[in-house]
Amino acid sequence: MSASDVIGIERLEALLRGDAPRTEAESARRELLSQLRGAALRAPEALRERVLTAAPARRHVAVRMPSRRLALIVLPAALGLAVAAALVHGFVGSGGKTVSHGGVAVPTVLRAKAQQLPAFGVAAGSGAAVPSATAPEQQLAPAVGSGGRLQHAEASLQVRVPDVNRLSTATGAATRIATSLGGYAQSVVYRTPQSGGGASYIELRVPAQNVRTAIARLAALGTLVSQQVSVQDLQHDFAVESAQIAQLRRTVAALTKALRNPALPEAQRVLLQIKLAETKRALSQRLHARTGTVASGTTARISLVLSTQKSIVPVAHHRGRLGRMLHGAVGFLGLEGTIVLYALIVLSPPAALAALVWGLARLRRRRDERRLLTA
Amino acid sequence: MNAVSTSLDAPAALSVRPGFAEVAAEQLDAVYRYLVFLTGDRSAAEDLAAETFEKAFRTWRRFDPRRGTPRTWLCRIARTVAIDWFRAETRRRRREETYARELAAAVDDAVFGDALSAPLEHALRELSPAEREVVALRVLLELDGPSAARVLGISQTACSTRLSRALRRLEERIGDVRE
Repeated sequence: MSASDVIGIERLEALLRGDAPRTEAESARRELLSQLRGAALRAPEALRERVLTAAPARRHVAVRMPSRRLALIVLPAALGLAVAAALVHGFVGSGGKTVSHGGVAVPTVLRAKAQQLPAFGVAAGSGAAVPSATAPEQQLAPAVGSGGRLQHAEASLQVRVPDVNRLSTATGAATRIATSLGGYAQSVVYRTPQSGGGASYIELRVPAQNVRTAIARLAALGTLVSQQVSVQDLQHDFAVESAQIAQLRRTVAALTKALRNPALPEAQRVLLQIKLAETKRALSQRLHARTGTVASGTTARISLVLSTQKSIVPVAHHRGRLGRMLHGAVGFLGLEGTIVLYALIVLSPPAALAALVWGLARLRRRRDERRLLTA
Repeated sequence: MNAVSTSLDAPAALSVRPGFAEVAAEQLDAVYRYLVFLTGDRSAAEDLAAETFEKAFRTWRRFDPRRGTPRTWLCRIARTVAIDWFRAETRRRRREETYARELAAAVDDAVFGDALSAPLEHALRELSPAEREVVALRVLLELDGPSAARVLGISQTACSTRLSRALRRLEERIGDVRE
C-alpha cells in the first residue's frame, strides 16, 4: 500500500484549499497538485479569435425568471383567480333583490317622534297589556304586504318605555303580539345594566299579511322614537328564478338522456358529466334561492328595540345576500375542484407514463455517458 | 497556477449579469483546458470549445447567475458537447477499427500541458476520461465540490471519491514510469 492511500477525502479537500501538508504523503500530493496547476495550457489564438469574434459584447439586462419562482407566482395567482371567480359567481348568483334580477325596491322610511304621529298616539305608560291597534291606526301604518304580490317587508321600531319594570312587561308583550298574529320571536336580548336603565332587542317574524297590525301594536307599547319600514317587491325575482329552474331542469333531462347513449366517446362523456354536475348544482342553488324568495315574501321581519333611555343604538337588519353569495362561492369552488379532479384523473396515466419514459431515458443516458468516459 | 481570472466565478456576481463576450474572454482558457483533459486531444478540444461557446451564445438568455457561476454553466455545456463527440468517436472507431485518439496522443507529446513533466503527461494519458475530467474540474479549474458534482451529474461524495482515486492512480502511474 502506498503512502498516498492514507490521505482521506477531508485532507484532500484541505490540500485543495491550500492548507499545509502534514505528512510526507500529503507533501507529495500537494506537489502533484502544483504540477497539474502549472500545466500552462492556454487556448490557441485561432480559437480565441474564433470564439470572441462570434460573441457580441452586448449585455443582456433581462434575467430569466427561474421556473420555481415562476411557479410560486403562478400557483397562488391561479388559486386567487379561482377564488375570485367563485366569489363573482356567488355574487351574481346570490339573487340580488334590487340589482341582479331587477327587483323593485320600495323603501319607505318614516322617522318621526311619537308626538308627531298621532296615529300611534299611545301615551307613555299606557299599560303593559298587549295593545290592540284600532282601524285608524292600521290605516296610518305604512302600507306593506299588499297588492297580492310577493313582497318582503322589514321594519325597525324603537320604542321608549318609562322604567325597567315597564321594559320587562313590554318585552313579554312584544313576543305575545308576534305569536298572536301567527309569527314568532326569533331572538330576544334583554339588558338591564347596574348603572340603571335597560333595553330589549327583539327580532320578530310575522306573516306578511299581518305586518301592518304588528307594527301598530308594537308601536303602542310605549313612546315611538323612530320607525323605519322598507318593502321590496320579489315578484320579478320569483318569476326569473322559476324560469331559470325550468330551463335548468330541461338541461338536466337532456344531459341525462345523452349520457345514456352507450356509443358516447369517453372524453365527451366526461365533459357531459361535468356539465351535468354543474347544471345540477345550479338547479339546486336556484331552487334554494326561490325557496328563500318565497319565505322572504311571506314573512316580514321586525326589529324592535325597547329602551328606557332616549338614545338608542339602531339595529341593523340582517342581510341575507352575503350568506347567499358565500354559499354560491363555496359551491362554485367545489365545482372547480371537481373539474381539477377530473382533469387529474384523465391526465394522470399519460403523465405517469411520460415521467417513466423520461426517467428511463435519463438512466440510460447516464449509463451511456459513464461507459463512454470510463473506457 | 490557474491563469484564468476568477472574477466572474464568485457568487458575488449574482446580482449583475455579465455580458457574453466578457464571460467568453474570461472562461475560454478554462473551458479549453477542461476539454483537453476530458478528450485527451487538443485538436478535438479546440473544435469542441468553439462549439461550446456557440451553443452557450445561443442559450445565453437562459443563463441565470443566481443559480451558478458562468464557469460551471459553461463546463456543463462543454461536457454535453464532449459526450456527443465521444459517441461519434466510438461509432467512428467501430467503423474504421482505429483509435484516432491514441494516434493523436502519440503524435502530440504534450497534450495536457506544455510545462508538465513527461511522467505526469504519460500518467494522465493512462487515466480514463472520467478521472481526468474530475482532476480538471477540481484542480485546474478550481471548482468547489458542489459545483464540480453538479457538472458531473453525481453526488459530492462520489465526486470527491473519484478525485481521490484519480490522484492516487496518477501518483502510482508516475511512480511506475520513474521506476
